[in-house]
Amino acid sequence: MTVLKEELYQKMSAAIVEMEEDLVAELSRQAVREGIDAFEAIDQGLTPGMERAGQLFEEEEYFVPELLMCADAMNAGIDILKPHIKADEAKVKRKAVIGVIEGDTHDIGKNLVKLMLETGGFDVIDVGRDIPAAEFVERAKSEGAELICVSTLMTTTMDAMAYVISILKEQGIRDRFKVIVGGGPISPGFAAKIGADGYSRNAAEAVRLAHKLFEGKDL
Amino acid sequence: MAKITFMPDNITVEAAAGTSLLAAARMAGLALESPCDGIGTCGKCKARVTAGRETLTLTDDRHKLSAAEAADGFVLACQAAAGGDVTVETVSGTERNKTLKILSEGRSFSYDIVNYITKTFAGGRTTVLAGGAPIGAEDGDTAAFNYGLAVDIGTTTLVCALIDALTGEELATVSALNPQSLRAQDVLTRIKFASTPAGLQEMHSSISRQFRDMVSELCGKTGVERRFIYEAVYSGNTTMITLAAGVDPASLGKYPYTPRLRGGNHISAPEHGLDISPFGLIYLPPVVSAYVGPDITSGILAVRLHEKKGTTLFIDIGTNGEMAIAKSGSLSATSTAAGPAFEGMNITHGMRADAGAIEYFAVREDGETELRTIGGVKPVGICGSGLFDIVGELARVGVIGASGRFAPPRPGSGPDGLPAALAGRVTVREGKPAFLVADGVYLTQSDVRQVQLAKGAVRAGVEALLRSENVGYADVTAVQIAGSFGYHLQAKSLVNLALLPPEFADRIEFVGNTSKSGARAFLLNVPCRGEMEALVQNITCLELADQEGFDRLFVKSMSFT
Repeated sequence: MTVLKEELYQKMSAAIVEMEEDLVAELSRQAVREGIDAFEAIDQGLTPGMERAGQLFEEEEYFVPELLMCADAMNAGIDILKPHIKADEAKVKRKAVIGVIEGDTHDIGKNLVKLMLETGGFDVIDVGRDIPAAEFVERAKSEGAELICVSTLMTTTMDAMAYVISILKEQGIRDRFKVIVGGGPISPGFAAKIGADGYSRNAAEAVRLAHKLFEGKDL
Repeated sequence: MAKITFMPDNITVEAAAGTSLLAAARMAGLALESPCDGIGTCGKCKARVTAGRETLTLTDDRHKLSAAEAADGFVLACQAAAGGDVTVETVSGTERNKTLKILSEGRSFSYDIVNYITKTFAGGRTTVLAGGAPIGAEDGDTAAFNYGLAVDIGTTTLVCALIDALTGEELATVSALNPQSLRAQDVLTRIKFASTPAGLQEMHSSISRQFRDMVSELCGKTGVERRFIYEAVYSGNTTMITLAAGVDPASLGKYPYTPRLRGGNHISAPEHGLDISPFGLIYLPPVVSAYVGPDITSGILAVRLHEKKGTTLFIDIGTNGEMAIAKSGSLSATSTAAGPAFEGMNITHGMRADAGAIEYFAVREDGETELRTIGGVKPVGICGSGLFDIVGELARVGVIGASGRFAPPRPGSGPDGLPAALAGRVTVREGKPAFLVADGVYLTQSDVRQVQLAKGAVRAGVEALLRSENVGYADVTAVQIAGSFGYHLQAKSLVNLALLPPEFADRIEFVGNTSKSGARAFLLNVPCRGEMEALVQNITCLELADQEGFDRLFVKSMSFT
C-alpha cells in the first residue's frame, strides 16, 4: 500500500508538471477511491508538482502559459480531494491580502501571484485592482492576514505603494505584517527604499519569498 | 564630499556622500542614458568603475547586470551611491544616437489644398488670417510666403517637415531623437516625471529647444524665413501631445486614464517655445483616448480608414500597440501595453535602430544564417525589426518551440533535426540556453520571453478587436501596419511570431509614418480637421483590462503557433 501510495503521489506530481489536467483529476479520484488521506495527497502529491513547475518557470524552461496550465491541473486535483479532507486535519492557512494599487487596473501579474500563493498553501484574499493603500491595510486587519502583496504595472502609480507601509507605521502595526511588492516598474532597490519586506521578480519567486518571510514562524 | 570623475570626458564633480553616480553624471552635464529615470529596472545607465569601487554603496546591481559585467567592474549608475572618490567610465549612447534611423515617410491620399492660414494684401500691408480671422499683419506684400510644419512627436523620435502651404510641396524634412527620452524613455516614466511642475517644465522646454534647432535647420536648408511659418500640426500619442502643449499629464497615468487635452484646437506657437511667426499657431489633432492619440487619428486620416470597404485592421506596432478596426465605416480602437521590448529594451543585446544594429535576419535552407546591420558595419546588437526576424525565424525552423522554449540540445551537439550549421549556434550562456546570432551577439531564453509578452499583448489586442466587431480572420480584407518601426518589419516575421494569424499573410501592408503624413494632410486641408473631430466622437474605445477573459486571451496569445 505504502509503495503504491508513493507511486501515486509521484504520478500526480509528474502529471502537474506535464500540464495533464485530466490525468491529475483521474489520479486524484483514484486516491479518493483507494481511501488515501486527501490532505496527504495534496501535500505530497500535488504540492511538489507545483513546486517543480515554479522551479521550471524560474529556470525559464516554463513560461506564463505553462505555469497557468500547471496551476489549472493542480486545481483540478484540489477540487476533487478537498471535500475529503478530514475536519481535524484541515490545516489553518496563513492569510495573504493581494491587490493592484490605486490608479492601476492591470491585474494579470497580480492574478498569477495570487494563483501561485494559493497553490503554495496560502489563503489569499484578492482585494482587486485600483485599490487605495488604506484599503489594503483595513482588509489585512479585518481578515487577520499576515502578508500584504501589492502590485502595479504602471510607473505612474508605484509611489502609492509606499503609503501601505506608512499607514501601517502610523497605526503602530508595521510588525504585524509582511509587505511584499512586485510588478513591471518595481526593482529590489525601490522595494528597499519604501521599506517593503521583499520584492519578487515573478510569481514563482513570490511564493518562495513568502515562505522565506515566515520561515520558523508559527501560525 | 566625494569626488567623482567621469571618463572619457574627464569631468570631475564634487557631490555629497550618498549621491548616486547617475545624479553626479547629471550634475556633470553628462547625458548618461537613464530611460527608467533611476529606478533600477532598465539597466541602460551601466558604467564601469575603474577606481574607488570599495567606497560605493550598491543597492541593486544583480537585477540588470550579468555576472560577467559585475566581475568586470560594471555597476548601475543609478543604484551606486558614492562614499568617496571614484572614477567611472561611461558607456552612454548619446553619441550613437546621431546616426539613429528614423522614418519620415508615410502613406497618404490626394486632397485639395485648403489652407487654414490665408493672407490678403491691401494698402501696402499683408494681413494674416487664421480660419478667416485676422491674427496679424506684415509690411509690404508677403502673400507669396506661407509655410507650415507637419510634426510627428514620437516617444523616441521627432520628425519635422517644412511645407509650402500654397503648393503643398514638402521642402525639407529633418528628424532627431526626442530629448525627453534620455531622462524618461517610456510613456509612463515620462508621465510620472512630468507630474511635478518642475518635471513638466523640463520636458516641455527640452522638446521646445529641440524644435527650435530643427526649425533652424529646416530654414537653413531651404532659405525659408521662419517668420513666414504660421502653423504647425503636432501629431503623436496623447502623452507626447499633452507634454508638448505643456499640460499636466498626471491624469493619463492613473485609472480611469482621462485625457485632459482633447485636441481639435489650436495653441499659441510662441507660448510653447516654437520659434516661428510671432502669431504662429499649433494645431492639435483630436484625441481618441489616453492611449489612442492624435497619431492614430492622423493615421486613420492618412489611410482613409473610415472609408474602407470590408474590414481593415490598422496597427501601430510599438511600445503601446495602438490599433483600430474599421468594419464598413464603423471604427473601434484599443491599445495594448506591449512594453519596450520592440525598442530593444529588456533584451540582452537589444539596442535602438542605430549603426551596428542587426535589422534583418534569416535562416537559409541549409541552416546557414544571414543578417544585415544598419550602416553595414559589424553587428553590435539587435534592434526591433532584427528581433522580430530572429525570433520569428527561430520559431519557424524549430530552434524555438511553440511554447517559446529553446529546443533542448543533445549532449555534445545541437538540437535534434536541425542542420548542423544552425544547431551549432544553439549554446548556453550563464547556464541558460541562448542562440549565437553573430559574434558577441546572443539571443537568450529570457529575451524570447520578453518578445512573447510584447507580441502576446499585440495579438491579444487584435483578437479582442476582432471579437468586438464579431469578425473572423477571413473577413479581414487588409491589415495596415503603421509606424516607423513597423516599416522595417517583414510580413513573414509577423506571421512566424504568430503576432498575426497566418490568414493575414497575404494582406499585410506597411504604410509607414502615417502620423506625419496625416499631420501634413491636417495642415494642408482644413476640412480634414472637422471631419476627424467629428469622427473621433464615433470611435468605440475598447478597454482591454475590462474585457471578460482577457487574462486567458493574453496568455494564449504568447504562443508561437
